[in-house]
Amino acid sequence: MNNSQTLTKPQRAFNSFLAYFSKPSNVIVIVSLTILLLCIVYPMYAVLNASLTVGQMDSMMYNSLYGLKLAKGDFTILNFHMLMFGKYSSEYSSSFFWKPLWNSIRMSTYSSLIALILGGMIAWLITRTDIRYKKYISSVFVFPYIMPSWTLALVWKNVFANSRVGTGVTGMLESLTGVCVPSWFVYGIFPCSVVMGIHYAPFAYILIGGILRNMDANLEEAATILKADRWRITRKVTLPIVLPALISTVLLVFSSTMASYAVPVFVGSPGDFYVMSTMLRSLYSSSYSGQSYVMTLVLVLIGILMLTLNQSVIGKRKSFTTVTGKSGQVSFIRLKGNKVLSTVIVVLLFFIAIFPIFSFALESLCGVQGDYSTLTLKYWLSREDLGGFHVAVGKGILFNSEIWGALWGSLKLSIVVSLVVGTLGFLIGYGVSKNRGSKLATLLSNVAFFPYLIPSMAFGSIFLAVSTKLLFLRGTFFLLVLVASIKYLPFASRSGTSAMMQLSGEIEEAAVIVGAPWIVRMTRILFPIQKSSFISGYLLPFVSCIRELSLFVLLTSSGTLITTLLSYFDERNVVQMSNGINLLIIIVVLIVNFTTNKLTGASIDKGIGGN
Amino acid sequence: MPEIVLKNITKKWGGFTAVENLNLTIEDGAFITLLGPSGCGKTTTLRMIAGLETPTTGEILIDGKTVFSSDKGINISAAKRDVGFLFQNYALWPHMTVYQNIAFGLETLKWKKPDIEKRVAQMLETMQIKQFAQRYPAELSGGQQQRVAIARTLAPKPKVLFMDEPLSNLDAKLRGEMRTELKRLHIDTGSTFVYVTHDQLEAMTMATKICLMKDGVLQQYDAPLDVYALPANRFVADFVGNPTMNFISGKIKLTGEKTAELEALGHSFVFHANEEIKMQNGDVTIGVRPESLPISKKGDISGTTYSTLPAGMETTVRIKVADTILSSVMFGSLDYKVDSEIHFSITGDRILLFSQEGNRAASGSVEKKGE
Repeated sequence: MNNSQTLTKPQRAFNSFLAYFSKPSNVIVIVSLTILLLCIVYPMYAVLNASLTVGQMDSMMYNSLYGLKLAKGDFTILNFHMLMFGKYSSEYSSSFFWKPLWNSIRMSTYSSLIALILGGMIAWLITRTDIRYKKYISSVFVFPYIMPSWTLALVWKNVFANSRVGTGVTGMLESLTGVCVPSWFVYGIFPCSVVMGIHYAPFAYILIGGILRNMDANLEEAATILKADRWRITRKVTLPIVLPALISTVLLVFSSTMASYAVPVFVGSPGDFYVMSTMLRSLYSSSYSGQSYVMTLVLVLIGILMLTLNQSVIGKRKSFTTVTGKSGQVSFIRLKGNKVLSTVIVVLLFFIAIFPIFSFALESLCGVQGDYSTLTLKYWLSREDLGGFHVAVGKGILFNSEIWGALWGSLKLSIVVSLVVGTLGFLIGYGVSKNRGSKLATLLSNVAFFPYLIPSMAFGSIFLAVSTKLLFLRGTFFLLVLVASIKYLPFASRSGTSAMMQLSGEIEEAAVIVGAPWIVRMTRILFPIQKSSFISGYLLPFVSCIRELSLFVLLTSSGTLITTLLSYFDERNVVQMSNGINLLIIIVVLIVNFTTNKLTGASIDKGIGGN
Repeated sequence: MPEIVLKNITKKWGGFTAVENLNLTIEDGAFITLLGPSGCGKTTTLRMIAGLETPTTGEILIDGKTVFSSDKGINISAAKRDVGFLFQNYALWPHMTVYQNIAFGLETLKWKKPDIEKRVAQMLETMQIKQFAQRYPAELSGGQQQRVAIARTLAPKPKVLFMDEPLSNLDAKLRGEMRTELKRLHIDTGSTFVYVTHDQLEAMTMATKICLMKDGVLQQYDAPLDVYALPANRFVADFVGNPTMNFISGKIKLTGEKTAELEALGHSFVFHANEEIKMQNGDVTIGVRPESLPISKKGDISGTTYSTLPAGMETTVRIKVADTILSSVMFGSLDYKVDSEIHFSITGDRILLFSQEGNRAASGSVEKKGE
């Protein structure tokens, strides 16, 4: 008797349903896909909805201008009309929407080019030439990426601010040499682009360097043998092969800078340089919420455009052939003027990576801002309330319970987020690699990368919109965890997937054969083998989360997290406190990064997907 | 026409010596294989000749021209050595079509466009890959990629062609076919071929001369059949030939310049050497190729069958004698019952004696002494 003949159709369907879900990898794919879609689709709907709704000030503005009787929460298309299409005046649209948009695009273009050139150059120098101090350069060069993005913005201010611009604070350059640089050098698009470019340069370095390092040396040698010179090889072989990575880097950096809030706030706004994210924030905090969601929507659309471009760049036809062979060491190019160049790089690196730390320490010790003759430890050690003109400064940093509370809040959040994201990334990697090639798995890996494209600021504002609908979420720790977890999932799932893909299926199957249950296979076999990659999947979200500002700035009050507190002090010009807190954050991040690296071999590079 | 000369070439990576004091002359038009186990320095040697690696010390001449000399500080780049190189993994450029891959070298040489088109078409024809001209490497099978790589390497008509295990990524059948084609190509092009492999069969069947290396040191440089018949030492004897040579330990007592008495396998033998025996009385290792141990009822040594491996054309029989297991290869399909008694003899004049240091001391024939 054939067994299948005795089963009815529904029975068979039920059996195959059971069979499908008896595989943990299938369960993971379905469950995480469902959760992610919920966490992305619903918020998108909420934003679209919010952009078509009047906010408090929106309604007052529309009512007084056009004699309408709109109340907060009513449906309207006026938000778009006002902001984008000059309903009130083209000047209004221009200064609140088109000009910030144009500024954002310009700033993002410049900084992604700067990041690409700097990062690409360092990657090329390290992997292809005999430049000196490689170890120092490659480890110090990632500092600016590990540190909060505004770090360099603050340093920029600390060094270049002078009595002739902005608030008239005296910077280091002026107090040491008396030189006052012009205003455009201190505030505006120039410092914004440069600072952001330097911040993302390590990101470009990790992506491009990874490709250059893994690129089969034979590909270049084959061209050498055919008598092509260095320049022709670079132009015809190396560049085209790394081109998809280059474009991808530009697009990713572009999206990131488009989203960034902290840098334009520190070195943009004081010079009346507004970008999308800063304008969004100021519209929102002045209760023009409807219009601020229009901006959010535009930012999201730009992000989606970037992803589509990115996907189309990575064509399949020309992809790498995966024939294994021995990849000999590339013979390094001998640099002319190696000594000079290496020294110049080392010195520059000192200024962008090491110097900030000194600068923050120094600024936090100035009794009077920028005056190095008034050094004092009171901003660190005072047990008395330091007072202040119009701000409550509180006690010195080391005894300030509010600061320690915020630091603890940040730590707690970062730890929880890194646990959630790292584990999810590991599981998604497992699910995707087990089902590789299937449509659901492809969908899952794309959906998991999607949050990267939504600017942090927009992301925060999306979830703010969600929390006004789901009130139980509003202002809670859980909301912060949720937002950060989704936001940082892209790289964790990416690195988890690539680590899983490197393991052959047989490794797990060998454990299945001896009867090891799923959880044992995960914890005793798969995780330990790719330990450093997976731990990197935990490290990156931790580091990103503890230095995050733009994602949280709309969602929580200033005292909850150390970064929001920093922003609070900075906005109120209590330079000693903001510098001191910044130093505190950098120290925490560096300690966590280096201990994890030393103990487990995990690194930020691996978290991003380079190796 | 090119002759390649290596003089005292040494390559060190930090403390590790990859190639030690290598002296080698590769005659014009030869087909040389660099043979040895992995890590013996054969690829490094090839890459040094091609100019992809810089030797630590020594001198290399191609066609009478010094291309590298540590003393004179000469180091001509790979691009200017006028050589072709076929990589193990083919190293086809993934972003170029088959046509562009082949044309690249000709464009670099600033050939005229019609000439390039003609030459590429010719190469596509020769390698039978015409229909793939507009495809990308990722869209080709391993064998097809291999052909493109050969076409790309041969297009500029190099006088010397270096190949680094070019067949190791192909399946057994294709590998066999490509061997024939490469050997044919060698005759058709008249170029000098230098070929790296760890497969002794490949080296035996294709090369005009084998350069066998171990731990960076040259072991023997001879024609394949000479390497097979008269290996310089135990390592070479063991590395070349399949099934491998039998090594029988015994005692030797010299009775004349070219004669000696041997004690082995519980028997006494008289050894007649072809040349002077270069060793002293004492321990000796006797090397016997499996084909020199024919099994027959008339054989004067007895043993038991340990296992039989019939392969159709020939049969390998493992024979247990005292504590030693010997291999014998017989023509045709034979099947012996395991653990049954069997008789064989030691024949031929290519029986080898190895000294305790492992060097070949003599070759000759043995005769069992009457009881």
